Amino acid sequence: MSSANANQSATTTPPADTIVRKKSRTGPIIAIVVVILIVIILLVAYQAGWLTAKKSTKYSFTGAGSTFVFPLVNTWELNYNSSSSSVNYQGVGSGAGIQQITAKTVDFGASDAPLSATQKSAASGILQFPESAGGVAIIYNLATVTGQVRFTGAVLAQIYLGTITNWNDARLQSIQAAGVTLPSGSITVVYRSDGSGTSFVYTSYLSAENATWKATVGHGTAVHWPAGIGAKGSSAVTSTVKTTPGAIGYVDLEYALANGVTFGAVQNPSSLTDFVSPTLASTGSAIADFSGTFPGGAGDWGNISILNSAGAGDYPITSLTYFLFYQDLGTAYGSSYSMAKAQALVAWFNWAIHTGQSYSAALYYVPLPANLVAIDAATLASMTFNGQAIPVT
Amino acid sequence: MFTGASPSLPRFGLRFLFGVVWDPVHGIFGVAPEILGTLVTSGIALLISVPLSIGAAIFLSEHAPAWLRDPVGYVIELLAAVPSVVFGFWGLAVLVPLMQGSVDPWLQSAFGWSPLLGGPNGGGRNILTASVVLAVMVTPTISAVTRESLAAVPRDQREAALSLGATRWEATRLAVLRYARTGIFGGIILGLGRALGETMAVTMTIGNKNAFSGSLISPGQTMSSLIANEFTEATGKLYVSALVEIGLVLLLVTLLVNIVARLLVWRVVRGGAVAGGA
Repeated sequence: MSSANANQSATTTPPADTIVRKKSRTGPIIAIVVVILIVIILLVAYQAGWLTAKKSTKYSFTGAGSTFVFPLVNTWELNYNSSSSSVNYQGVGSGAGIQQITAKTVDFGASDAPLSATQKSAASGILQFPESAGGVAIIYNLATVTGQVRFTGAVLAQIYLGTITNWNDARLQSIQAAGVTLPSGSITVVYRSDGSGTSFVYTSYLSAENATWKATVGHGTAVHWPAGIGAKGSSAVTSTVKTTPGAIGYVDLEYALANGVTFGAVQNPSSLTDFVSPTLASTGSAIADFSGTFPGGAGDWGNISILNSAGAGDYPITSLTYFLFYQDLGTAYGSSYSMAKAQALVAWFNWAIHTGQSYSAALYYVPLPANLVAIDAATLASMTFNGQAIPVT
Repeated sequence: MFTGASPSLPRFGLRFLFGVVWDPVHGIFGVAPEILGTLVTSGIALLISVPLSIGAAIFLSEHAPAWLRDPVGYVIELLAAVPSVVFGFWGLAVLVPLMQGSVDPWLQSAFGWSPLLGGPNGGGRNILTASVVLAVMVTPTISAVTRESLAAVPRDQREAALSLGATRWEATRLAVLRYARTGIFGGIILGLGRALGETMAVTMTIGNKNAFSGSLISPGQTMSSLIANEFTEATGKLYVSALVEIGLVLLLVTLLVNIVARLLVWRVVRGGAVAGGA
């Protein structure tokens, strides 16, 4: 635009020397642009590994889904040494993951919530593998309180319903440990504004604990929050709570531990005085103490809830995340799969549920308890390629 | 988009536009608070940014010394190219603490009696904060276009006004601004379009509450930020199609606002030409 204007004014007014200078600048600018382009191409080439000896793999698998498991799957990708396959996982969200595996555009999906009956029937022949357990931590910002604040499910529901609005409310103060005095000050409720598996677990817990919550709000990845402000993503929930005195929020335990946020203890259903702090151990034991029976991979996980596990010292707000594979890779994907390719996919996931679990603790994920590893291994063994069993290696 | 929204379109009909409850769990979808949120944030953003950006453009093209003109002009054009997430982060890191610590409490104590500025504040994340971020975002766009239109005014126009005895300001107002107004309005509409559709920066600063309380310092939601918030984890046909329908509504609202703005411009320009006479 500006050069056009310069030309325009050049015809009506005697040429000023600035116009001449501007024209002579074109040469150097082109040179600079060319240099920048070359640098960009070199950077891309380096990143893509064109310049280094390329690790060639026979098969590459794509997965999509839950953002919660993304750091873990990413670590697996980097540490899985196999000449036959590589894995690319995209943390696009559980909803999108379920859609993509249903449409068969990916080799596997991952979801923070089990498939509903409708979702399961839409993707016929789908298998669910419980993988990686998580807890939801209650974080808060009370600068003057030194001890750990205690919560019960009933109190949390009333806070999120907006019926308890002050920290020194008798219902909240009466459950605190001796010596912990909550200050007077309004509670700022913070929730996840984006659809999230964490919200699904947390609202499921509140529904289980409070009849009013269950009737008016219910549970889901996004709900109609009666009170508070929304923040997009775990990081925004954390920063909102950290910068707002008197705020309360909820994030994945993995996120709270990695970022050193203050979190509260939550009452275990087995005893009125058993307030449990969320840790990898207290979340893991909640899954190990599950009182019901887990179904197999082809079964219905929709009604499986490990909330409120009754063993002493079990953290009550816990959940499982799921990986989704088709039982028969031949019928699901047709000619794009071969027996060898199916075998490579099964080998990768078999590695993930065994060796892969050793990377969990360092990333603050709860390693899969032995009872679930056994279920996953059995489900994996049931996978087929055009009706033939796939050898698990 | 019609195809994507087909499950929810017949189901909700006009209730989709006027409903105030967005409840995915129970399958109730109404976007009135989000439509209001979008219009209000964009409106306030324009109220703040239009005088600011046109003032800046007039100063730069008419009054600033030559050594200041080009560098500042380049900086403004650069700002117009900064991605919105950067503006959002600036809002989160700089503006939110400022609103939370001083502006909101002051507004509340001074104007808390009026419903416009009363009510609970969202810890610095509210409609006003998002509007200010939007204003900062669209200012470079508007002022860059305005500057170009002012630069396109022939020098004769200014010289004629000055030679008739007009002061510098009178020459700018009567000869230059009037000549360039079509371009300036074009810039404002461009800025409005950017404000209406902005997603990232708004999501980061608006507080993301699916309700419109009427107070500017309460958290709210816009159509685009609601889509950005919930699309990734939306499960179920109706839920996804309701989100797609928001996109459709946003498109229609943007179209409508643009048509109204164009009509206004057309009227002003035509009316001005008659009044201007010469």
